[in-house]
Amino acid sequence: MAKVSFRSVWKKYGELAAVKDLNIECADGTFLSILGPSGCGKSSTMRMIAGLEHISAGDILFDDQRINDMAPRDRDVAMVFENYALYPHKTVFENMANPLKLRGQSTDRIRERVNAAANLLEIGQLLRRRPQELSGGQKQRVAIGRAIVREPKLFLFDEPIAHLDAKLRAHMRGEIKHMQRTLGTTMIYVTHDQLEAMSMADLIAVMHDGELQQLGTPREVYNQPVNAWVAGFVGEPAMNFLTCEVQARRDDVLLTHSNFALPLLPQQVQRLNGHAAGPVRMGVRPDGLSITMRKPSEPVITGEIFVNELLGGDMIVDVQLADARIRVKTAPEFEGVPGEACYVTVNREKWHAFDVENGRAFF
Amino acid sequence: MTDTVLSDQSIPGQSQGLFRVRQITDNVEARPVPSIATEPKLNPPASRAYFFGLMAPAIALLACISLYPFCWLIYMSLHDVEIGSAVWNNFENFTKLASDSRYLNGWWLLIQYSVMCLALQIGIGVFLAVALNGARFEKILVTTLLMPMMMAPIVAGLVWYFLYNGTFGWYHWLLQSVGILGPKSILASTGTALIGIVIVDVWQWTPLITLITLAGLKRVPQDQLEANMVDGASQVRNFFAITLPNLYPVLVIAVMLRFMDNFRFIDSVLALTGGGPGNATKILPVYLFEVSFKFFKLGRGAAIALTLLVVTIILGMILVRVFDRQQTRKA
Repeated sequence: MAKVSFRSVWKKYGELAAVKDLNIECADGTFLSILGPSGCGKSSTMRMIAGLEHISAGDILFDDQRINDMAPRDRDVAMVFENYALYPHKTVFENMANPLKLRGQSTDRIRERVNAAANLLEIGQLLRRRPQELSGGQKQRVAIGRAIVREPKLFLFDEPIAHLDAKLRAHMRGEIKHMQRTLGTTMIYVTHDQLEAMSMADLIAVMHDGELQQLGTPREVYNQPVNAWVAGFVGEPAMNFLTCEVQARRDDVLLTHSNFALPLLPQQVQRLNGHAAGPVRMGVRPDGLSITMRKPSEPVITGEIFVNELLGGDMIVDVQLADARIRVKTAPEFEGVPGEACYVTVNREKWHAFDVENGRAFF
Repeated sequence: MTDTVLSDQSIPGQSQGLFRVRQITDNVEARPVPSIATEPKLNPPASRAYFFGLMAPAIALLACISLYPFCWLIYMSLHDVEIGSAVWNNFENFTKLASDSRYLNGWWLLIQYSVMCLALQIGIGVFLAVALNGARFEKILVTTLLMPMMMAPIVAGLVWYFLYNGTFGWYHWLLQSVGILGPKSILASTGTALIGIVIVDVWQWTPLITLITLAGLKRVPQDQLEANMVDGASQVRNFFAITLPNLYPVLVIAVMLRFMDNFRFIDSVLALTGGGPGNATKILPVYLFEVSFKFFKLGRGAAIALTLLVVTIILGMILVRVFDRQQTRKA
């Protein structure tokens, strides 16, 4: 178990910088998820921790010990690869025993540890099989098993469940989270799936184009995104963005759009911090909006239903405004039909405003 | 049919009057109830005659160029063959082989020759491949290395014959001046002649092993190497634990190609020693050549060839079996 620190870490491939000036502190026992789209540098970051890539600049520290120049085998980390990387010529038992065997453990100790890990992952009956006789989910468990037989300082999971089907993925999310809590080992989990990061991590590091965008708890990242990019990347269905105008009128400050003019809440006016007029990007998640077919008394956005998607327990309605389209989450009983006029109310507690130029969040 | 309820309904709002959409309304009762499937009547498969029709030309061609001569080989091996006559001889061609010391010696030499060639070629070939893999100028180096392979074996034999020559051979002079050889050529003494022909075969065919191994190395899964490194393996252990097992299938193919070549290629041996001195390099295929085309005992030659063929096929089948097992393990 260890604390992991990144001090101004860079990864350069020739001229291309895959990771730029990364600074993260990850306390002992934390489940840290590195989240970002493909090509954002998250895998490079993980490979630098494992020792599979040279650290171009900066330092990575485990418990204040600099590990830049250590060989992978001396770093005492355990890694689960995206495509499992099981040894096809070895049985499941031998696969899981490999890290212990390479560290010269006794046969009894190996058997004990492998059996314990197999029990935890419920793969005890598979130990004699070879990897090609296993299903995707079983392979993935073996790969995790190989990581947990040892008590490493750190787990590194590189999109381990990306190749599983949706149902199994949801199941494994819970299992991995539970396992990490049980073992209490620091975990760094790389994923491009914001749902995985949100549901499992204690701390999320959102990366984009090699740069750390936001480091925060899942709640912070979801509710208080620091910029428009993070706001748009996290959350499914994605956040709606509308370009609005800030206008002061008597004692109110209004956010105006061709379809609506709504007053800001007082604390939001404060956060605008002098940006009293001019364009901003308003962002609001589909669950911050509600839709009705009858015109309510409060101020509303009027539009026309474009299409509605029933997701079983929820319904997503795409609403066509004069010059934009927004998505609203509602109950499946909603009875609007495409083409009909509808009224959308904004929960102003849940909307955000971003700087048009640099995407920085005002609130 | 009344199992789906469709209602025509025009869409209100902007699009009214432009198009009409059939809207399916919810009505669980109206849907068909799934029934228990009964065994269906199968559609007829494609006709067998068609398959055979497509294969017939290939089979006919194979029969002409391979099956027909093979039948002749068997026929000849059972007869005393002279020009224009063949007399049945009660399996004498085969029974005599058991007491033919040069035949048995031919096998013994062939085994020694093959084993030495294979061991050296695999060892050196894999080493070179690992050294070259990912090296700078890899392509140029590999191309250079391949040159011996492009030479006709008979030419290779002649070139080495002169290099080995006891009077003016350059290699002979080199080896002699560092004290390894006496005044006699390596090919001239019975103790070393076999090594002489092994060296030529290794020189010419190691590049093939290197080439095949290089192709295999490109396919060694990087993630397994990395996983093993994180698991705690050193570079050397990584090679033996991951790289080598992943190379087995290509090495099995390489062994198969090379041992079959050793069992039939005699060009360079004929050029270098012609089987001598004495019978020191008279490996079985060379002896076979002698019996058939020097002494012109075609019947006995056919019998020897048949035994050689049978052993080659058995060894080949064993290797194919090993290869299959490797493949299924990998899959």
